[in-house]
Amino acid sequence: MGLLDKLSGWLGLRKKEVNVLCLGLDNSGKTTIINQLKPANTPGQEVVPTIGFNIEKFKSSSLSFTVFDMSGQSRYRNLWEHYYKESHAIIFVIDSSDKLRMVVAKEELDTLLSHEDICSKKLPVLFFANKMDLHDAMSSVKVSQMLCLETIKDKPWHICASNAIEGEGLKEGVDWLQGNARAFIMLYYCHCVVK
Amino acid sequence: MIKKFDKKDEESGSGSNPFQHLEKSAVLQEARIFNETPINPRRCLHILTKIIYLLNQGEHFGTTEATEAFFAMTRLFQSNDQTLRRMCYLTIKEMANISEDVIIVTSSLTKDMTGKDDVYRGPAIRALCRITDTTMLQAIERYMKQAIVDKVPSVSSSALVSSLHMVKMSYDVVKRWVNEAQEAASSDNIMVQYHALGLLYHLRKNDRLAVTKMLNKFTKSGLKSPFAYCMLIRIASKLLDETEGGHDSPLFDFIESCLRNKNEMVVYEAASAIVHMPNCTARELAPAVSVLQLFCSSPKAALRYAAVRTLNKVAMKHPSAVTACNLDLENLITDSNRSIATLAITTLLKTGSESSVDRLMKQISSFVSEISDEFKVVVVQAISALCQKYPRKHSVMMNFLSNMLRDDGGFEYKRAIVDCIISIIEENPESKETGLAHLCEFIEDCEHTVLATKILHLLGKEGPRTPQPSKYIRFIFNRVVLESEAVRAAAVSALAKFGAQNDDLLPSVLVLMQRCMMDSDDEVRDRATFYMNVLQQKQKALNAAYIFNGLSVSIPGLEKSLHQYTLDPSEKPFDMKTVPLATTPITEQKTEIAPVATSKLPEKLAPSRQDIYQEQLAAIPEFQGLGPLFKSAEPVQLTEAETEYVVRCIKHTFSRHMVFQFDCTNTLNDQLLQKVLVQMEPSESYEVLHYLPAASLPYSQPGSCYTLVRLPDDDPTAVSCTFSCTMKYLVRDCDPNTGEPDDDGYDDEYVLEDLEVTVADHIQKVLKPNFGAAWEEVGDEFEKEETFALASVRTLDEAVKNIVSFLGMQPCERSDKVPENKNSHILFLAGVFRGGHDTLVRARLALADGVTMQVTVRSDEETVVDVILASVG
Repeated sequence: MGLLDKLSGWLGLRKKEVNVLCLGLDNSGKTTIINQLKPANTPGQEVVPTIGFNIEKFKSSSLSFTVFDMSGQSRYRNLWEHYYKESHAIIFVIDSSDKLRMVVAKEELDTLLSHEDICSKKLPVLFFANKMDLHDAMSSVKVSQMLCLETIKDKPWHICASNAIEGEGLKEGVDWLQGNARAFIMLYYCHCVVK
Repeated sequence: MIKKFDKKDEESGSGSNPFQHLEKSAVLQEARIFNETPINPRRCLHILTKIIYLLNQGEHFGTTEATEAFFAMTRLFQSNDQTLRRMCYLTIKEMANISEDVIIVTSSLTKDMTGKDDVYRGPAIRALCRITDTTMLQAIERYMKQAIVDKVPSVSSSALVSSLHMVKMSYDVVKRWVNEAQEAASSDNIMVQYHALGLLYHLRKNDRLAVTKMLNKFTKSGLKSPFAYCMLIRIASKLLDETEGGHDSPLFDFIESCLRNKNEMVVYEAASAIVHMPNCTARELAPAVSVLQLFCSSPKAALRYAAVRTLNKVAMKHPSAVTACNLDLENLITDSNRSIATLAITTLLKTGSESSVDRLMKQISSFVSEISDEFKVVVVQAISALCQKYPRKHSVMMNFLSNMLRDDGGFEYKRAIVDCIISIIEENPESKETGLAHLCEFIEDCEHTVLATKILHLLGKEGPRTPQPSKYIRFIFNRVVLESEAVRAAAVSALAKFGAQNDDLLPSVLVLMQRCMMDSDDEVRDRATFYMNVLQQKQKALNAAYIFNGLSVSIPGLEKSLHQYTLDPSEKPFDMKTVPLATTPITEQKTEIAPVATSKLPEKLAPSRQDIYQEQLAAIPEFQGLGPLFKSAEPVQLTEAETEYVVRCIKHTFSRHMVFQFDCTNTLNDQLLQKVLVQMEPSESYEVLHYLPAASLPYSQPGSCYTLVRLPDDDPTAVSCTFSCTMKYLVRDCDPNTGEPDDDGYDDEYVLEDLEVTVADHIQKVLKPNFGAAWEEVGDEFEKEETFALASVRTLDEAVKNIVSFLGMQPCERSDKVPENKNSHILFLAGVFRGGHDTLVRARLALADGVTMQVTVRSDEETVVDVILASVG
């Protein structure tokens, strides 16, 4: 890819491709969220626990996203790190009705953010406090408190409440992600070119 | 200089393989572009090809680097390029065992296999099944069931074949897919039907009843696929073979009916199945042979080849049936396809009469240079079989073989010829000299070390006993001058044998030996020095012990004993008698039947059966003080076939004790046996010291229990004894399906057949290549002689067999083979008695009304001689 192509990419003449990792504990709704974001041609498909990962693609108004929808089961979580290096943004999904495992989610998040491939980069992290339709769900503020999100200083982050089954809240999150991912990717490529 | 470079370039350029000089690290470096976005399918494809190429070249990938490359590859799933995706499947399959965490692609593959794109579905199933283990199989079970009954043939076939592979891993899960497989078996697609039948069979093959049912069903309903038909024929003939079903069984009728099938493949399969059945009558063979005969004149080369190859195989078993095809085979002699011609000729050689041999040999020598080595070996095998049939023809054969020996050819081919010549020499004493002469000529220009050493060994053995031994010396000494170390060493050993046996040659041999002592190689020098010193003593006994008859101990055993000795040094010198003896390979006797088969003898240094037992027994603490294992007998069955429990016994003899190893198998699936031991009641003064029970014996898993017995010290002549055996155990009933046993059980016992200990259990076979020398070596100090009349035997052959099996000693000098039409015979037997006493037996047999036998026994211990004579009487 020549420099000219890159320039045209920056100027927004072409849709930039962004690699997004979708992480979170098992049964938090990652695959359901991604299915909602996909162009709606395969509705009603039954969602089964992911083993390993799935690759999905969808587009927003200015970016084209390639999402690595990772399995959230505990025994596969150590496989996430294989995909950290080349990702440009992270979506972290939390089951906001699962108070019990909030500590587990926090622990996974801390491990993720302190990983050497992640901590040095200013990639944007989008949190979905999912399953807000359930009556015992916590508010997004409460979730962010429990995960101590305010301690994340070096990365842009955003939390929004969502209901993946109905698709509520997803649009807001993706819009935020789009803006921040663009900024990140510009920086990333500038960095590459300078190097 | 420039020219040299050019040549090099040409050489490297001549191989059109673009992947020739790939560097693993470079390729793995390149694999990093998998991580780039967007993906460049063409470049990635090329790199994947390189990786697979390297893997198939046997390049070793470390787990870390393989895993890294694998995970980088998983990113390629985001591309929708069809070729790239299918290349990913291939890579997944190749790397399934070398990379970690390959299950990461499970969801991606399940997505592809259930997707809309049929091109992806089959390969995805196959890749998925390669990375799945038993625990993961449950998760994809639903998809597999759907795929088996899918209407797209490639998907269904993939699923069936993958299931077949997984049967090995998780039988119980795959077994649940039987209904789906059943449905697929009625598919219209020939491949799907074939694969479904294969899966069904493998799921049921351990259950004979179910297989029979399945066969009945399919033979009645009929199948579309010729492949499936062939499979059915194979299953049916296997079942017939196992059940020893008569030829009136419906299965046989089915196979015979397939001879009238429309498809040639099915017809051939049926004919081949019938022809290969044991004990087929001529009437049953006839239709099958006539079908093969028909194929012999088919315009299709493949059919002619198949037919003639099958006929060739059965020619030995049913020569008369194949004779019917002689005319057709004659036509095939000149077939333009040399493979067919060769097989036709060799078949005719097997079936034809003695008079046609010359003509056929002439025909075959006209094109022997045009056929491949593999078929030349077939020719040699036919010749060697022929030599046994018509010993008088050996001069023709020998000429032919020596011509073949001069031609170019690979190792296997040369080895077959050499083996064949050696077997002719052993069969026909009158051909010995010509044979040896041909072999001598061959080693003058022989590039195969193994063959050269083999021939030198033979020369050493046979040469000294020919009328003119001196003429071989030149050939042997030439080897010392010209060849590699191994051949030189073998030549030195051969020379020594000439010196030891021929007194008039001894001075010259000593001179040659002296020259060999100057050799550059250690082994050659050592051997020469050793033989030199032995020969200079001029003692027959020394010659016999150290030149003719080498070490008779087991090599791994010697190694272990020496190692033990160095670990635990003592004042005492190392005692050779503590080393377990080598068991004479059983194949030794087979040489007469299949001379060429001996070439497939296992490598000498592989631990023998006895070495394995030695190790197993040494691991049991109770048996550690027993010293080295002296002999392990062949297993004896103590139960009838197909009883509730199957028990066989292996007798292990030590210098003062015997250990009886009982291998028990429980064939009742509703019982779990515990604390299994075999109680033994001796008839003589043998003393049972210790029982070592088998802790538990689940259904169909063999287990061993042991009994330790002390041999009577005070009476060394008590060598035979009868034990009555009873198996005692605790029974716990269990659920046949789950194998879950009940909590409590009850004691029970089971009476086994009596076990005999005979004199043969105290004697280990030892092959003395030169019996005469060994006889002199032992000397006549304790020689005893007695004459017996064997009234019950009618032929010499029978008598020899009886004596050999009774004494359990090794026949030497091929004396176990009684020449035809002779009234007297001398049998030489060699062995080592328990305690390490060399024992030799010479039995002169004479055939009058019954057989009269004069037995002479020599040993270095008087009691041994008495024991043997007493046991014969």
